[in-house]
Amino acid sequence: MNRPILRPAVCLLVISCCIPWGAVSSGARTDVLLETMQHELQRATSALSKSNPTPYYLSYTATDINGFFIAGANGSLIASNGFQRRQADVIMRVGSAALDNTHSHSRSTGILSGTLPLNDDPDAIARVLWQLTDREYEQAAAAFLKVKTNTAVQSEEEDKSPDFSQEAPQIHLGDSRAHISLDQRAWEGRIRRVSSEFLKYPEVYSSAVVVQVMDTRSYLATSENTALVRPSAISRLIIQAQTRADDGMELLRVESFQADSADQLPSDSVLTAKVDKIAADLKALRAAPAAEPFAGPALLSGRAAAVFFHEVLGHRLEGHRQRDETEGQTFTKKVNQRVLPAFLTVADDPTMKELNGERLAGFYDFDDEGVPAARVNAVENGILKNFLMSRMPIKNFSNSNGHGRRQPGLMPTGRQGNLIVTSTNTVKESDLRLEFIDQIKKANKPYGLYFEDIQGGFTITGRAMPQAFQVIPVMVWRVYPDGRPDELVRGVDIVGTPLLSLNNIMVTGDTLQVFNGVCGAESGQVPVAAAAPAMLFSEIEVQKRRKGTDRPPLMPPPGLNDMAPASKAKPVASSGAKP
Amino acid sequence: MRAKVDSSLVARFSPLGITSLVTLFLLICVLRTAAQQKGAKTVSASSDPVLQAMRQELARSKSQLKMDNVPPPYYIEYRVTDLDYYEAEAAFGALRQSQRSRSRSARVVVRVGDYKQDSYYGPGTGTVDLAPLEDNPIALRRQLWLATDQAYKQASEALASKKAVLSRFTADQPFDDFARAEALESVGPLAKLEFDPKAWNQTLQQSTALFRTDPKIQSLTASVRFRAQNLYFVNSEGTVTRQGRATYYAMMAGTTQAADGMRLDRSPYYSAASLSELPTPEKFQADMAAMFATLKDLREAPEVEEEYRGPVLFSSDAASDVFSGMIGGNVLGRRPKPGESARTEGDFASSYKSRVLPTFLSVIDDPTLKTFNGKTLVGSYEIDDEGVRAAAVPVIQNGELVNYLMGREPIRDIPASNGHGRAGPGQPPVPSVGILVVQSKQALSPEDLKKKLIEICRREGKPYAYFVDTLSGYNPRLLYRVYEKDGHQELVRGAVFNELDTRTLRNNIVAVGNDLLVSNREAQVPTTVIAPSILFDELEVKRTDAKNAKLPEYPPPDLTPPISDARIRLIPSDRRR
Repeated sequence: MNRPILRPAVCLLVISCCIPWGAVSSGARTDVLLETMQHELQRATSALSKSNPTPYYLSYTATDINGFFIAGANGSLIASNGFQRRQADVIMRVGSAALDNTHSHSRSTGILSGTLPLNDDPDAIARVLWQLTDREYEQAAAAFLKVKTNTAVQSEEEDKSPDFSQEAPQIHLGDSRAHISLDQRAWEGRIRRVSSEFLKYPEVYSSAVVVQVMDTRSYLATSENTALVRPSAISRLIIQAQTRADDGMELLRVESFQADSADQLPSDSVLTAKVDKIAADLKALRAAPAAEPFAGPALLSGRAAAVFFHEVLGHRLEGHRQRDETEGQTFTKKVNQRVLPAFLTVADDPTMKELNGERLAGFYDFDDEGVPAARVNAVENGILKNFLMSRMPIKNFSNSNGHGRRQPGLMPTGRQGNLIVTSTNTVKESDLRLEFIDQIKKANKPYGLYFEDIQGGFTITGRAMPQAFQVIPVMVWRVYPDGRPDELVRGVDIVGTPLLSLNNIMVTGDTLQVFNGVCGAESGQVPVAAAAPAMLFSEIEVQKRRKGTDRPPLMPPPGLNDMAPASKAKPVASSGAKP
Repeated sequence: MRAKVDSSLVARFSPLGITSLVTLFLLICVLRTAAQQKGAKTVSASSDPVLQAMRQELARSKSQLKMDNVPPPYYIEYRVTDLDYYEAEAAFGALRQSQRSRSRSARVVVRVGDYKQDSYYGPGTGTVDLAPLEDNPIALRRQLWLATDQAYKQASEALASKKAVLSRFTADQPFDDFARAEALESVGPLAKLEFDPKAWNQTLQQSTALFRTDPKIQSLTASVRFRAQNLYFVNSEGTVTRQGRATYYAMMAGTTQAADGMRLDRSPYYSAASLSELPTPEKFQADMAAMFATLKDLREAPEVEEEYRGPVLFSSDAASDVFSGMIGGNVLGRRPKPGESARTEGDFASSYKSRVLPTFLSVIDDPTLKTFNGKTLVGSYEIDDEGVRAAAVPVIQNGELVNYLMGREPIRDIPASNGHGRAGPGQPPVPSVGILVVQSKQALSPEDLKKKLIEICRREGKPYAYFVDTLSGYNPRLLYRVYEKDGHQELVRGAVFNELDTRTLRNNIVAVGNDLLVSNREAQVPTTVIAPSILFDELEVKRTDAKNAKLPEYPPPDLTPPISDARIRLIPSDRRR
């Protein structure tokens, strides 16, 4: 498992494992799916109201996904599949909002999923929903009895909030199906061409180019009379390449693009230039010295700072974490206290579609519990004010603020959308470097570290683990105060404790930069964005990344100094496959 | 991968958030299986671009792969599996899934050491990666290059850890780690998937629309899985093979509940190496109706008594499940873990040269059979997945176990492969059944077999005996009482067998039928079992201990009237106005 380079391709293949083949799509004006969901929901609600224990909340979600996925490497396709599927999620709450079957660790008993017919056949849709509802009732009723027993037996919980908040019903039937331009063949050609560019670079061992185009229509009907139809479309293109340093350290570069539709993705010339840049970066990284443990001044680019805030702060603002007693609850009791320097304000705003002309991946109008998305000013002038709330209440925060998100099949929790960090203590980007050098001198350090790009990271919020975090910086430079040119280093890992590091921020740049990505947590993978200005830290602590033990490949790549006897292979650069 | 932490506590942020799904993909690979096909002519290895690229990269690795302080590989093998796969499912008259996908995986094994003792252990058992879908030599060779490099490095570690493990045991292993095999070159025709998805999807939808006629049917599905697999294999001993096969599988499944809550289900299937052997739409519909009727009958059938001990007749269908699992699963030459002294794993580990079946039964595994009674056999192949020619292997002769089905990993007393090393896509090869044929010198006609059942029943003074038509696992699904008085049959439900095992097979089979049934089994590695019906003089039938489920909390939805053709035609004319 030492070569993750093809893994993204492999993984996306799974996401898109339903491939249509003569699949059916109805062009009906009235929405048979929504109507059938509502009708069956009503029937279930009234029938189950006579059962004991009684459900007090029932919702049906249908997620209709359509799209294609293409992956290529070295000029050849590795996967090319179209897909279509409809998934149903039945969420049921038995008992009362004060205490129900989803309480605490029994949360997963609130949901059951299945596959719906691809076409609008009301009888078949109703049957599947009935089947799922009946089975979900069995599971939820049994779980509720257990929850009641446990609550009676166990010591009192610190946070006695109810299990479900009261929210106003919402009705919003979104626009008709967003059009998806499905030119799969043309994209196959492009993926072949772009991926073959890496063959020019012998120091890139493995690489992949992936495009995923998805058109989703999400339906929600609830026993509280919410009815939502939400169309969304997204296209992503990812270029990834990998090499290994002579000491065995794995070096990885990933670039991704996203747009509302596939034809808005960058042109071949932009992509080819990106390949050249990635290859050049990897070559430079191979030659770069390995990082040494260091604590001292650091400058984070806006993108790097955005990831840093998503991991270090964002996840700790998620409402449900303040309630779960296995969580670290870093911020639970810090409301109205200072948690950041006073010049910083952090909001999560899923209602923002764009920032400085760049699309934000965490945009949505309603969350996955049918609550309208809202801007949450979580930290105002350094003071903690609010959390990212789903419909799971916490002490002093009894309502959702439209941040209940999930991937189909999982229970929602409070999640980030677009995390926006703004600052009132700014200097022009160009002056930031001067301040940085000043700080290095003041700290009497031989150099400072400039984090140009960060790959993403993960954060541990549980109590059982140290409250540490890691982000994976990729392009990191030593900046010398004496005017020597900057020096690229490899294998840098940021370490430390979140609260401390957040308060080391001294000053920021004046322009927000955006990092778009997909965030995974308990409620699955959801698209998110984070935006922040560049930031100067008085001190950041880094460690040397643990490196792999394998040396670079023993033989050169095939086709370069090819000694194979019967080979009539052409020179590498031109030997890509012909379609 | 960094620290190992409980995934629920880890929140990640990555450009695509995808790494956690690797295992899922591997699982999918595992679930997709091998298949078979014939026809067309054999061609030479040099004309196939995939084989050509594999050979080139193999030659390069063989001559150049060498690390300091580690011996060069003594054996390298590449296996590329190309899978074209179609899967569709309908439920309640509507299509839920219809997808076709193609994938190629490459598996590389590098062995360090020698035939006597080598590195095939733990991480040394090979590396797997996706391979390009297109016949692009450089792209394929690059994947092989990296996989080979990794496999060699892992092999050197594996050999060291294997030696460390073995040093804890005193006895010298009396057999080699890897059997020698002769080089062979065989390039077979490529398999192709050819079918009409629309027609099949319609059949699936129409047949499951039958749910409308019975509100007590809780689920009704029908599905197909078609696959064409082309396997490319080269090794450093000079073997070059290409084999194509296709398998076609269709199944239907229904569930219902009896008034007391007992869950009842059926799931008949069809499997063949030729699409033409699957049922026609009319036949599929008729079989669905028949299955539907038995579900209704099961619901109304009486529960079996608490305990019965007496003669039981297994249909050839039920018997094939028993032979597949209890004989097929135990005649494989699987080497036990290092340090264990048994010959193989399984019930027959110490049964070599002992009686395991009645003396009137013999069992042979012959993958070289092409058809049987006009039926194609999915377990058929010429060369196994280790590049060894398949051989017909008598495993049980007159009741006595005389051989095991072997891949290239020798076990005590059996030093060589007999061409039964088989593998799912991307999986390591393991000894496996090909076509298992149960033979008897004294087979009875089905009528005589039934007479014999009644005879034993009469002798024991019982009012009825049991006849098992189909099994679910090793328990009866369709079980009938056969009355001694007039031979009439009565369906019962809720039965399990007690102690149906290899000992019962050895001691209690008293007769078999001459009604050999071809049972094609779709699995990671497709196999065929050809078995007759069998009569046990004594077997215990018990009432199941399983608690009955609750009946549905509320009734199923009402049906809308079906849309008639007339109404469909009205729509365009409305629009014109």
